[in-house]
Amino acid sequence: MISDRLKQTILKELNLDDYEFQDDTKATDVPGWDSLNHINVILAVEKEFGIRFKNVEILKLKNIGELQSLVNSKV
Amino acid sequence: MFKYLDFQKLNSILQYDQYDPLYFTTILFFFLFLIVVAVYRLLSPYKNIRVAFLILFSAYFYYKAAGNFLTILFGTAIINYLLGLGLNKLSGIKRKLFFIFGLLFNIGLLGYFKYTNFFLQNISSLFEYNYGGLNIILPIGISFYVFKSISYLIEINLENIEPEKNILNFILYITFFANVLAGPIDRANYFLENTKEKYFLTKQQIGTAVFLIVLGLLKKVVIADYIGLNFVDRVFDAPERFTGVENLIAVYGYTLQIYCDFSGYSDMAIGLALLLGFRLMQNFNSPYKATSVADFWRRWHISLSSWLLDYLFKPMQIKFRNLRIYGNALALTITFLICGLWHGANWTFIFWGGLHAFYMVVGLFLKRPKEKLYKKLSLSNTWILKAAQIFITFHLIAFAWIFFRVKNFDYARVMLEQIFSNFQSEVFPQFVSGFVIVFVLIVLGYLVHFLPEKIEFFIKDIIVKIPLPAKAFILAAGIWIAAQFKFADLQPFLYFQF
Repeated sequence: MISDRLKQTILKELNLDDYEFQDDTKATDVPGWDSLNHINVILAVEKEFGIRFKNVEILKLKNIGELQSLVNSKV
Repeated sequence: MFKYLDFQKLNSILQYDQYDPLYFTTILFFFLFLIVVAVYRLLSPYKNIRVAFLILFSAYFYYKAAGNFLTILFGTAIINYLLGLGLNKLSGIKRKLFFIFGLLFNIGLLGYFKYTNFFLQNISSLFEYNYGGLNIILPIGISFYVFKSISYLIEINLENIEPEKNILNFILYITFFANVLAGPIDRANYFLENTKEKYFLTKQQIGTAVFLIVLGLLKKVVIADYIGLNFVDRVFDAPERFTGVENLIAVYGYTLQIYCDFSGYSDMAIGLALLLGFRLMQNFNSPYKATSVADFWRRWHISLSSWLLDYLFKPMQIKFRNLRIYGNALALTITFLICGLWHGANWTFIFWGGLHAFYMVVGLFLKRPKEKLYKKLSLSNTWILKAAQIFITFHLIAFAWIFFRVKNFDYARVMLEQIFSNFQSEVFPQFVSGFVIVFVLIVLGYLVHFLPEKIEFFIKDIIVKIPLPAKAFILAAGIWIAAQFKFADLQPFLYFQF
C-alpha cells in the first residue's frame, strides 16, 4: 500500500496530476520517471521524509512497493 | 569405404585456421547447425546431456574462431562459477572483499588483453619514446563474455539472484555459441532459466526464428558487406581521393553498414538461439528512428547500454546525487567515456564516447528549456517536431560514427574538410551511375529501416502462419540470395574486433 504522502511527493517531482500507484508499479511504468529523472525522485523522497538511503538500498529497489517499505523502515 | 572420405577436408573442418572461421554466414555453419538442432531435439529430455552437447558445439565454434584462446574462455567460465558460489557463502567485509576480488579478476583479464599496449604506448609517448608494444593478441569475444561474468557477480552481490549450482548450465551461459563472439550480453537469470525449461518450440517461435535469421543474413551479407567493400571502405581508407559529396555518402553508408552488420549479427544470434529454445535479449529497436540521443541509446546495442546503465551509470548517479543535475552529467560523462574505451583501445573510440557524453549532457541541460519552447510554439507532439528531432539525432549519430570508423584523427579531419570545403555536388550523378548497386542498397536499406513497424510485424506474421516446408524454403532462399552476394573473402562481423 502506497501512502498518500509518498504518492504526492512523487507526483509533484514528476509534474503529474495523478497516477494510480500499485505496490508492483515500476519506475519505467510512470510517465517522466526515466533513468535520468530517477535521482530527482529519490532526492525528493529523502527530503520529504527527512531520511537518507544507503546507496545499495537505492540500487536494490525494484518497484514503488519496495520504496514504500524502505521509507517505512527509516521513519 | 574410407577411401571415399576426404580426410583433408575433414581436417580443415575441425582445425583452427584464422582465415577460415565458422561464422554464421557460411554454408558449413548452417549445415552443422541443422545437425545440432536435430541432435539437441533427440537429447532434449536429458537436461544435463543436452546442455553438455551445446557446450561441446560452442567449444568447437569458439575454437574455429579463436584457436587456443578457448582455454581462456573456459577458464573464465569455471573461475566465475566458483566466484559466484563463494560470494554467496560470505557476509560482511569478507563478502565485500571477495566481490572486489571477483570484479578485479574480470576487469584485469579484459584490461590485460585489451588495454596493456594502449596504456604502455601512451605512457611511453609522454616521454617521447616510440614503443612498439607487447605481443598480445585480443581473444575474440572477450569484451562480451567478461561483461556477462561481471553482471553475474554483481547480481549475486545485490542478492537479486542465487548463484547457479549446476556447473554445466553456467558454462553454457558464458560460452553459448550464439552470443559468445559479439553478444547480446545476456543476463544470467534469464538465460539460466532457459537451460532448465522443457524444449518445445511453438509455431510462433519457429516463424520468428526463420524471419530473424533470414533478415539478419540479408542485412549482413547483402547490405553491410556489399556497400562496405564496394564503397564505404574505399572512401574511409583514402578520403582525400574523393569529393565532399562522396565522403558524405560514405558517412551515410557507414551509418547504415554498422547498423546492418551488428543488428544483422544480433538478429541471427537471437534466431539461432530461439531454435534451440533460448530467448536472448533484444539488442536493437530501429535505432535511427530515435528522437534524441538518449532515445538512440534505448534502441542501439540495448544489451550493452542497459548493462552500462545498471552497473555503471546508476551506482555513480546515486553516489553523486547531492550534486543533482551535475551529478547526472558527471555520471553520464564517465559512463560514455568508458563505453568508448570498451569498443577499443584507441583515442578515436574514447573521442566517440566523449562526443556521445557531450550530446547527452547538453540534452540534459536543455530538456526543460526545450519543453517550454515547444509548448510556447505549440509544437509539442506534432509530426513536424518529431521529424526534425529524428533528422537532427540521425546526423549527430552519423557525425560521431566518423570517429568510430577512421584509423586516426587525420582521416576524420580530411573527411570533414572534403565535406565542408570541397563538396562538388555536381559529382552526385556520376556517383550514382558509377555505383548503381551501392546507391540502390543504401536507399533501400534506409527505406526499410524507416518503414512503420507494422510492416515488419505483418511479414513476420506471414512467416509464422505458413507451413513448416514453406518456412524451410524461405530459410534456404535467404541463404541462397546471401550466397549470390558473397565475396571471395569472408567478411568478419565488425563487432568481433571489440
